[in-house]
Amino acid sequence: MDLVMTERHHGPEPSTQGTFSLSGSEPVDRALGQWEQALALVALKRDKHAYHELFGYFAPRLRAFGIKMFGNEQQALEMVQDTLLNVWQKAALFDPSRGCASTWIFTIARNVRFDMLRKKQSRKDDISADDLWADGDYPEAEDQQTQKWELWLISEKLAPHFAALPPAQRTVMEKVYLEELSHQEVSDQLGIPLGTVKSRIRLALDRLREALDDSQR
Amino acid sequence: MTHSVKHHPSISLLELYCDGSLNAEVALLVATHLDYCPHCQQLCHDIEADLGGQLAESAAGSSELHATDWLEMMNRITATPQLPKATPAPAPQSLLSIGGYQFELPRALRRIAGHRSKWLSMGGIATARLPSGEPHHASLLFIDKNTDVPLHTHQGLEMTLVLSGEMVDEHGRYVPGDLIINSPDDTHKPRNVSDQPCLCLSVLSAPLQFKEGLTRWLNPLQRFFY
Repeated sequence: MDLVMTERHHGPEPSTQGTFSLSGSEPVDRALGQWEQALALVALKRDKHAYHELFGYFAPRLRAFGIKMFGNEQQALEMVQDTLLNVWQKAALFDPSRGCASTWIFTIARNVRFDMLRKKQSRKDDISADDLWADGDYPEAEDQQTQKWELWLISEKLAPHFAALPPAQRTVMEKVYLEELSHQEVSDQLGIPLGTVKSRIRLALDRLREALDDSQR
Repeated sequence: MTHSVKHHPSISLLELYCDGSLNAEVALLVATHLDYCPHCQQLCHDIEADLGGQLAESAAGSSELHATDWLEMMNRITATPQLPKATPAPAPQSLLSIGGYQFELPRALRRIAGHRSKWLSMGGIATARLPSGEPHHASLLFIDKNTDVPLHTHQGLEMTLVLSGEMVDEHGRYVPGDLIINSPDDTHKPRNVSDQPCLCLSVLSAPLQFKEGLTRWLNPLQRFFY
């Protein structure tokens, strides 16, 4: 089997979902990323070709991730198989309006790994991944947090904390708040999905708030 | 809203929770906090998106696995039936009875805490162990209205999440969803000064440098709280 190494694509912004499903004016391949489309095909038609693509891309990456986590190949492969079995069987549960395919696959792998580690300790009636992760059944929260921070961000108080942000978040913040690019422009420039730009901004803002709280104590 | 959650887990704690590396008991505490807190739900959503992106962007690694092995795994998988599009049924509502009151449990605790009946009571307070392992203890803590929790110290980290009612200590007032973290150095005296009963989830990390016999002498309540 060839491992299909295709370019990475991502899901669209939740706001563009409506255009895709309702008006039909946008062709499917522009509205949904490659992996999101593949999952839809697997869910709707048991499309083995689409599954083959997903498997070829994610299996070796999950294996590398698993080896890093478990430190051995055997458990890593058990995790890969369980995760991708879930992807096959539960593709219909994937909801692109809640995030990218890669996020969904990551959370499945995380839950599989958690339960594998707990099972090793073999306790009955134990805390399981199903208790811990709600699987996206929370309603979407409003995104109002960003705006009220804009004024704060230009203040000198925050400057030293800016440097301490994780590099990926700092880059996005610098482009948005120093170069004054729009979120879409940052997305285009860095080649990352718009949703990721917004996520990184929110995470950075919360980090800055924590840093500020600490420094004022 | 006067009763919104004010005491949140730190981002680092949320990150550990999202990547699955937090121990089960503390993860349960964070998961329960999320049931009350849209703000942290959004943050976790963002962190998961970030981690998913990292997975997709990661290198495939030099696969020493033969293509035939991958193919075999894939064929095994696609030979299984797919599940119909039915969202798994949410855990049924469960009511917890203690001290003559009934409490509705948040989602994260429904399965785990739904059938706790072994309560250890003393005065207006009661505690019930949840299934958890060393070095952490997770338990439910019930504090009746107008009741003080006796002054206590603890050797490990004590994390408390208010589930229902409210309580106060030297540092403030806590409502459902609020997370209180006390280090071993803190001596604190939580009280329920309201006319409603209070229910909390409490997670204690094990007393690490701890001479058990001696401490039992010094602080008989330790066994109760730990």
